[in-house]
Amino acid sequence: MKVLSKTKLEAALNKLSESNEVFVPMQKKAQSGYYPWTSFVSGDEIMLEALNVYQSPKGAVLPQTEKMYQIKQGGMEIKIDKTFEDDHPTIIFGARGCDVKGILAMDEVFLTRGYEDSFYKARRSANTIIANACYEPGSNCFCNAMEVNAVDPAGADVILRDAGEAFVWEVKTEKGEAVTAIIADLLEEKEVQLPQSKPFNQKVDYSGVAEKLKTMFDHPLWDKLSASCINCGMCTFVCPSCYCFDIQVKMWGEEGYRFRAWDSCMFEEYSREAGGGNPRGASKERFRQRFLHKLEFFTERYGTPLCTGCGRCMIVCPTDVNIVRIIDAVKEAEVNA
Amino acid sequence: MPDKDHKCTCSEQPLVPKVVEVIDIIDRTPDVKSFFVRNVDGNGLPFQVAPGQCGMVSMPIGEAMISCTWQEEQEHLEFAIKRVGLLTDELHQIEIGQQIGVRGPYGNGFPVEACKGKDMVFIAGGIGLAPLRSFIKYCFKHREDYGKITILYGSRSQADLCFKEELFDLWPKESNTEVFVTIDNAEPDWNGHVGFVPAYLEELNPSSAGAVAVVCGPPIMIKFVLQSLEKMGYNDDQVITTLEMRMKCGIGKCGRCNIGSEFICLDGPVYYLRQLRDLPPEW
Repeated sequence: MKVLSKTKLEAALNKLSESNEVFVPMQKKAQSGYYPWTSFVSGDEIMLEALNVYQSPKGAVLPQTEKMYQIKQGGMEIKIDKTFEDDHPTIIFGARGCDVKGILAMDEVFLTRGYEDSFYKARRSANTIIANACYEPGSNCFCNAMEVNAVDPAGADVILRDAGEAFVWEVKTEKGEAVTAIIADLLEEKEVQLPQSKPFNQKVDYSGVAEKLKTMFDHPLWDKLSASCINCGMCTFVCPSCYCFDIQVKMWGEEGYRFRAWDSCMFEEYSREAGGGNPRGASKERFRQRFLHKLEFFTERYGTPLCTGCGRCMIVCPTDVNIVRIIDAVKEAEVNA
Repeated sequence: MPDKDHKCTCSEQPLVPKVVEVIDIIDRTPDVKSFFVRNVDGNGLPFQVAPGQCGMVSMPIGEAMISCTWQEEQEHLEFAIKRVGLLTDELHQIEIGQQIGVRGPYGNGFPVEACKGKDMVFIAGGIGLAPLRSFIKYCFKHREDYGKITILYGSRSQADLCFKEELFDLWPKESNTEVFVTIDNAEPDWNGHVGFVPAYLEELNPSSAGAVAVVCGPPIMIKFVLQSLEKMGYNDDQVITTLEMRMKCGIGKCGRCNIGSEFICLDGPVYYLRQLRDLPPEW
């Protein structure tokens, strides 16, 4: 099998970075996330061994803010003659299966159902995913319950398997072949022992949840579950599949640009209408929207849940909202026929 | 890559507006104006619309989803816009010749084919007449395809009545057509009906036999009109309405206009009541 010795990891990242922006999980001071390899400085730490860094790699295909097009205004005239689709080659190096699933979910949203989003399409077409297989689930992991195969993640162009001294380098697609060619001279043929898969600590049963939720929109359980939520939006910020965006403008006098930015269904303004009305004006309504989108609505529309079981939201939530306990509560809830 | 579920006529860059020129502006009421636009080079339109479809209208300050008026010979696009927020405030200050951005067409539009052969009952309140007007115009262009046409329209006051020429001069002259107009409160120079739309509807009681009711207006009006229609014997397949939600992208991506798993901008805004009954009660 092809392997990349860990001693050659930095050389490989350097080589890949010559022709690609390579996003690598890193600890940078108090923050962790997927950062461009070229930003690596002394004191930073590569975090390929960590299961989930704080920030998912979704920003590589859907940046937190993204310019869309230039606007020029003068007198009665408006000019929109420059757009900012960005198709520079990128690699996400070391994405876990849950995060790859998040990107697959975004592919469904942005590239199907009638319209292809030109900005997403440009980035995604030029994006290669080198996934990192998980053999030992963390204490908050439950991706196995959310249709993710952590050892053999769908959507990966290359799969890395941590075999101690080296990563097994398993090519899955043509895009994978292309990036493999760049570092071919750093790879070796060698038989190594693969780790054993360990069981998940979280026991989650999603079966039937989407169907049951369809009957639970007005269930009193939402009052109880949402009581502690302060609508801070942390869960949507760290979520590898939360893709909702806002469109805003920045003008300096007569020139500027329209851009989009991550938004959050947790915020009151998100669904507030021009006349002041808001179908989800109350905290509980926004809370319910988020969990129904993750567990019911997305499944109805795209055939798979929008939660990928990464566990980040449970870690960051300041008020201990826990999606696993929500799934459990739904499973246990009594529903009046 | 348009898929089979949507008759997509979008460009390669669906989120990027086309610049058009405002060639006429008509004051409809103190806070509603119609804006007529066409391509900047004077030739043609950025897109064609079916009755009930919408377009995203933009100035540098922002964008909003606005119903676009259908007409048989589309030489310009018309947007009837009420002044309610930042963008619409600014639009109400522009003059003829101003360039603005538009993109579309968005949404499913009215089921004009499925309604053929039916008696049509149009029920609108306030600016809600704007989308129905497209369907009404379509029916009159294809008069023989539809049965009796009943139009019931209400607004807060006389001054707030939109499309007065059509309401009082053009539509009443059409064959087998009745037009009823009401305002919320009595005014000295108003000889017409006074009262809310749902009560007037029940008083008029247009027969549900072979009829379809199409409803658009403020949410509170829609709510009570739906109750009235049910009382009058209209079943859920005989009632059509249009929904409104906050929208940003218009193409089912940005998230916020969902009701359940439907995106109103893309899958709606037009729904049969039977379809709405299957959605969470957020409409």
